[in-house]
Amino acid sequence: MKNDNPLSPHIQIYNWHISSLVSISHRITGIINIIIITLICFWVSLLLLGNSNYELIQNFFGTFFGKFVIIASAWSFSFQILSEIRHLFWDFGIGFELKTSNITGLIVIFGSFILTIFIFILGRNLVL
Amino acid sequence: MVQINLPQNSKVQKGKYYKDNTGSKNIRKVNIYRWDPSTGDKPRIDTYEVDMDNCPSKVLDLLNKIKNEIDPSIAYRRSCAHGVCGSCAMNMDGKNGLACTKPHKEIKGDINIYPLPHLKVQKDLIGDLSTLYKQYASVEPWLKNSKKDDAKENIQSIEDRSKLDGLYECIMCACCSTSCPSYWWNGDKYLGPAVLLQAYRWIIDSRDEERKERLKKVADELKLYRCHTIMNCTNACPKGLNPAKAIASIKKMLATS
Repeated sequence: MKNDNPLSPHIQIYNWHISSLVSISHRITGIINIIIITLICFWVSLLLLGNSNYELIQNFFGTFFGKFVIIASAWSFSFQILSEIRHLFWDFGIGFELKTSNITGLIVIFGSFILTIFIFILGRNLVL
Repeated sequence: MVQINLPQNSKVQKGKYYKDNTGSKNIRKVNIYRWDPSTGDKPRIDTYEVDMDNCPSKVLDLLNKIKNEIDPSIAYRRSCAHGVCGSCAMNMDGKNGLACTKPHKEIKGDINIYPLPHLKVQKDLIGDLSTLYKQYASVEPWLKNSKKDDAKENIQSIEDRSKLDGLYECIMCACCSTSCPSYWWNGDKYLGPAVLLQAYRWIIDSRDEERKERLKKVADELKLYRCHTIMNCTNACPKGLNPAKAIASIKKMLATS
């Protein structure tokens, strides 16, 4: 029998928690990372074709949008790595208490930005 | 399937406004999801002005007050009023919980009350849980033991018994399952946190003799592994249990056995 009763509201009304926010971001950054890695592969194979390609890409990365893309992908990788480590601990059955998972979730969120800054500093040769 | 928007017949509309007629100074607005199957109308949100000076502390008391004094047509489930039966599970202030244990003081601003998310509504705050009950039956939630000697006690060590702590307290209120996005999108196939916690309760019971069969039955891409550790279940549980951990324990048992 077909049930024509209405469906009660779900994602429209449900509160976001730290854990659900990190979970959906983990998925989104995962998809973005696949795209970025594919693009890096194309970039590397383009470089093989000669000097003019190198300059083209160099100019793109020099623009504001190019810099944004680089920093955004550094953040995306940072987030994915930290969140993946969190999942690794979960797979061992560690860190499921509500308090622990909220703390590790916050570490992932703030840590991803700190790691991005760290990568940026390393990349600009500001230290070492 | 992920379906972010509600279907056409489920779109919520603005409903009636019940003005306070007690002349009280301490008024709170309560927005309640309403749907009547006897009319062809779409669901609506009715707003009630409630005199909080003469209202006990819990959300269920608030609902009782509205039903007794303002609008007797409102429908919701309730029974024990002490957080034991799990009847009054609903979505309050964007989070699932038991209306009888949730103080309305904890809610800031207007009080929004919806039925449990992503269920077929039967009337007002009553959702259809028959799929969940069918899934519960599918894990065969009873002791399977070949011992015929009923006269003797079935002895369990203190250590083995303690493995059931945090599992046996579950009252099947469905707060966790209906808070889970994976269960929203795949509720027909994925068992959901409530049923998986129950499945684990029987898998880990030392007196049960069919652990292997139980594990084999639940080890399924859709039944079990749709859990992506979103943790909404643990956040929602009004009894403070941890379904996410129970599901992880099943996954761990399967990976190591």
